[in-house]
Amino acid sequence: MEAIRSLGRAGLFSLSVLRASTPTADFFTELLREIYKIGARSLPIIAVGGAFVGLSLTLLGFRALETYGASNQVSVLIGLGLYRELAPVLTALLFVGRAGSSIAAELGLMRATDQITALGLMGIDPVAKAVAPRFWAAVLTVPLLTAIFVSFALTASWFEGVQVLGIENGTFWQVLRDSVDFRDDFLPAFLKSAVFGGTAALVASYVGYHAEPTIEGTSIATTRAVVNASLLVLMFNFILSAMLFR
Amino acid sequence: MASSDSRPAGTRAAASRPRGPGLEFAVGAFLLLSLASLLVLAVASTNGKFGFSRDSYDLKARFTNLGQLRPMAPVKIGGVTIGQVSGITLDPVKFDSIVTLAIDNRYREIPIDTSAGILTGGLLGESYVGLQPGGDVEVLKPGEELVYTQPAVDLIQMVGKYMFGGGAGGDAAAGGGAADSGSAPPAGDAPAAGDEAATATVPSASPAAADAPASATPDSPSPTEPTP
Repeated sequence: MEAIRSLGRAGLFSLSVLRASTPTADFFTELLREIYKIGARSLPIIAVGGAFVGLSLTLLGFRALETYGASNQVSVLIGLGLYRELAPVLTALLFVGRAGSSIAAELGLMRATDQITALGLMGIDPVAKAVAPRFWAAVLTVPLLTAIFVSFALTASWFEGVQVLGIENGTFWQVLRDSVDFRDDFLPAFLKSAVFGGTAALVASYVGYHAEPTIEGTSIATTRAVVNASLLVLMFNFILSAMLFR
Repeated sequence: MASSDSRPAGTRAAASRPRGPGLEFAVGAFLLLSLASLLVLAVASTNGKFGFSRDSYDLKARFTNLGQLRPMAPVKIGGVTIGQVSGITLDPVKFDSIVTLAIDNRYREIPIDTSAGILTGGLLGESYVGLQPGGDVEVLKPGEELVYTQPAVDLIQMVGKYMFGGGAGGDAAAGGGAADSGSAPPAGDAPAAGDEAATATVPSASPAAADAPASATPDSPSPTEPTP
């Protein structure tokens, strides 16, 4: 079936991306540039998204726990739900929307304007030059973006909980500290984020690299990248959660 | 992700090397199979803490009231999980429930006078079967039934009993209520609190309990008074 063959092509492409990742000086220059483009420039959306997620989670949790008289334990919800599930997944989805689409569009445009062909003619491996830096930049930056998401969500949650809803300040931070463990919550969250970042970058690169060299092809590639990467992120989220959190 | 392969002609770049359709199909099928097996593994691994593959043997126990016990609830001795509940059926003749306990093969020396009770982990926690080992030399063989069982304790019924019981029952409730008010939040697993619930303690969460001693014991001074 054609779908299985496409999956196979994507797998082989991913393998070639990994093979083409050699730590040369040129690679690091490109890597730095990509980290800025897809990491640093995603900061606004991640920060604002994190803040609003923290606000709504606190509000919802407060109302839900009121029936058990445990509304000042809201930080448990924030700690566990945010660190384990919401932060990696939402950061990855926001990343796919912003950086994944830009990767796909850039590579599609490079294909459409024959830059990839030109690189090949000059004897430079286009995958090593264009795709591998983006992949490794994504793997490195998505965990950091997740951490920023979490910190903004926590700050917003503190504001909503302590200043607006009236939870006691000490209780908030103490319960949060008690409910979250570094080894059991942080590290799996960062591992998940790294996997999501790599998946998003691979999907976006594959679709962009193999786009049809037309304007329409580029836009189709961008759409397809976002949709497929989002679905894969959600699927891997379930698998990783089941394996990491027992 | 079916897109046309725009492999530009004449490039020697490694990534654009044309590959046979057979290899692509094989890789795709392999990826699909591994993804499917990962999903199955993920679903199976979240399905029960004890695991299907551990060797276990079955014991039975009859209870008159199960409370909130469900299949796959843990079976513990002194707080250590040694097995899980594998099945619950109702005896159509005697109308008590027959609970099948799957005990790990490592624990084969359970005496025949062991008693089983349905305890709760904390006030809002899940129900589990707690075994209290007896002292007999003979041990239970697979398939045998535990003779001594205690039914689950229904907290609401007990509250009602003490609210309208009065006298010594009300004093014990007041003492238990004061002791419980300093306990940990219900999110933690506290088998000690669960055991206390079995021995006549009113949960501190219900404000009705605070009113109960006041109305039940109008003028008799209680030895352990709640906070004035």
